[in-house]
Amino acid sequence: MIGALEGNTVVDITQGLCGPYASLLLAEAGAEVIKVEPLGGDYAREFGPPFVGGASATFQALNRNKRCIALDIQNPRGAETLRRLVERSNVFLEDLGPGVAEGLGLGYAGMERSNPGLVYASITAFGDKGPFRDLPGSELVVQAMSEFWGSLGAIDEQPERLGADVANMNTAVFAFNSVLAAVYHRELTAQGQRVSVSMYGTLMHMRGILWSARHDPDDWSGQHQEGALQPRDHGYQASDLSVYFSLRRGDEEAYVRFLTDLGMTEVLGDPRFDNGGRDAVGRGRYASELKPVWEEAFKNRSAAEVVDLVKRYDGDAVELNDYQGLMAHPQVEALGIVREPANANGLRSLEPSWKISGLDPVQATPPPRLGEHTSEILTEVNHSEQEIQQLRDTGVVL
Amino acid sequence: MPGPLTGIKIVDLCHAVVGPWGTMLLGSLGAEVIKVESPGGGDLIHGMPPKQRGLGVVYTHSNPNKRGIILDLKKEEGREVCYKLVEDADMLVENMRPGVADRLGLSYEKASEINPRITYISAPAWGSTGPMAPMGGVDVSVQAFSGWTSLSGEDGGRPEIFRFGAQLDISTSSYIVAGALQALLIRNRTGKGMRLDVTMLGSSMNVQLSRMAEFFATGRSPSPLGSATVTTAPHQAFLCQDKKWLAVGVVNDSQWRGLCQALGLSDMTEDPRFATNPRRVENRRELVPILERVFLTKPSTWWSIRLAKERVPQGPFLDFEGLRHHAQALENDHIVEMDIPHQGNMLFGGLPWRFERTPARLTSGPYPGQHTQEVVEEANARQATRGPAPRGQAS
Repeated sequence: MIGALEGNTVVDITQGLCGPYASLLLAEAGAEVIKVEPLGGDYAREFGPPFVGGASATFQALNRNKRCIALDIQNPRGAETLRRLVERSNVFLEDLGPGVAEGLGLGYAGMERSNPGLVYASITAFGDKGPFRDLPGSELVVQAMSEFWGSLGAIDEQPERLGADVANMNTAVFAFNSVLAAVYHRELTAQGQRVSVSMYGTLMHMRGILWSARHDPDDWSGQHQEGALQPRDHGYQASDLSVYFSLRRGDEEAYVRFLTDLGMTEVLGDPRFDNGGRDAVGRGRYASELKPVWEEAFKNRSAAEVVDLVKRYDGDAVELNDYQGLMAHPQVEALGIVREPANANGLRSLEPSWKISGLDPVQATPPPRLGEHTSEILTEVNHSEQEIQQLRDTGVVL
Repeated sequence: MPGPLTGIKIVDLCHAVVGPWGTMLLGSLGAEVIKVESPGGGDLIHGMPPKQRGLGVVYTHSNPNKRGIILDLKKEEGREVCYKLVEDADMLVENMRPGVADRLGLSYEKASEINPRITYISAPAWGSTGPMAPMGGVDVSVQAFSGWTSLSGEDGGRPEIFRFGAQLDISTSSYIVAGALQALLIRNRTGKGMRLDVTMLGSSMNVQLSRMAEFFATGRSPSPLGSATVTTAPHQAFLCQDKKWLAVGVVNDSQWRGLCQALGLSDMTEDPRFATNPRRVENRRELVPILERVFLTKPSTWWSIRLAKERVPQGPFLDFEGLRHHAQALENDHIVEMDIPHQGNMLFGGLPWRFERTPARLTSGPYPGQHTQEVVEEANARQATRGPAPRGQAS
């Protein structure tokens, strides 16, 4: 069985993390992706160190399974070439910023006339309206404006960012989903459309529970309202790593045995530890104040021992892994999610997060060199050898 | 106006956030979603604080665009109603622990026997096999296990848990949507449903792909950097004269030139130590103090104006009071107020996408079991018209 987007061609002029991850997902779903880069290259080619074989690790992770044409779309001849490419494609992905594509003659209205089934997907930093509309954004900037700092760090100190690139990566998945839905609509109606997502919209959506929580609540307590005032949470420190655990499934008898094993029987009778310990750990109401009591009991035990102990009494526990710890864990192997390199010089990567029964996996091809496929792509859209040479000579393509 | 998924029917057997958020998003595209809860408490997050008029807001925010019914799947009658829904549905979504749906008589095999066109979506936390499969998982434990916490924290400090326990839930929901939409496209060609598995662990790893790349390249785990960014610089918070922090993100060389211009440091564009992003990243410990000193000389508003003119990404660290009235959030519907008949007005995160021909929708969800009667009557009426299902002869 072949992928959902088999037979679809995507023309992707985005750079950085977000758009390229969206087109990677489109490639994973079976689409053929043509990556259009400016003559100086996608600026993410410069992200890093780390670099491997001279290429940014970040760039490599997001750009396999694509062919690349280096094309100056600011040049009218380049814009014309891009229009010819998009005319014969099914999906166009852009992140130039609101109104910029129109200024280059690459707006939806014009593209739709020559290709009514086209799905035209725009990714912006801040959306199509508002005072920030025309301003550039970045991962940190968008996190800052959607109050991510309020769930990390300590108030009155330097704010922290979430280390994962949540604005870029989640926006990419939403862009991918929008394209899939629009392609589905087109398959039923032959009608294309423009879809758009923004990094700010993504994070504001994902924090939505917090807006609900603070609008008109019956009470004011807990993380959804007081997150910014709470101390940093490092989990529970054991002798080596930290752990996170909860006891919600344990029965009372198991709980007493658990406390006995930990040498903690003196807490029995303290009402904060009642109720099978449910209020005393994790998100429980006494969890923060009781953390030192648990850590005292864990200090001579490794994280692995604590995890085993909790599980023995039917609780859930995990270690706070770094990537080394994660990759070495048998659960990751059972999941089969790490993808071996496509070639001898390649890097490991990940299988997609969805597993569809009966679907043939997409074979990985290495990330393209800048302009690696310029000639073959131009030939496919009926450029003669002479035309291609002329574009090269005039500095329109590389 | 119809959405792209108008006519698609989904039976949602999910609880908490991961599954429900995914079906809410599919509902925003026009799918008709029926949320099935069990009697005696139902979805465990009804009671989770914070509440508005006695019902947890996490429940309310996770379940718009649906009708809600209560069915006892442990009883024959409840199961029969569920089978009728399955017969008529395009998708079934469940996020029970591995094996639980099977015990309730709602396995993939059973569902596809009733309805070969159905796509059966499972979303366990850790996977359906492997040593952790039987274990429960919530956002925080997935944060901890998946390496996510190791990326955040003070510069060089200990790994830090993100004190909002739905971020990875919703990333997983979004990958569920991705799988579900692909399943529909594939069914257009094959006419058959399929099985779709999306785990929280796999989703959490994928959403970290841009950071995991660093590990794949070096074999070393990245460490937290406070507000700064490992692979681009300067990309961090700067303290200004008015004691406010400003988020600044330089990710390419033209933004670097803009920053130098805005700060009155145009000589620095010539400095080879900072000429390219890799050089700025390598020399960030020399670069940042120079910039810090300049930012401290003027208030954040001034730098914001200057940086915007030079097209350098910048923005304030907004708090709730700042963002709830912010024109950027309001004009784009990134934050919306909705009337929930049983709870009053409530703020919601806006939908994450805009479709120009097939607008997405956000409508109030049910109170638990609000639509039990009408959904059961519809299912019975459908069966009366169609006669007994093939499954009746088979079982």
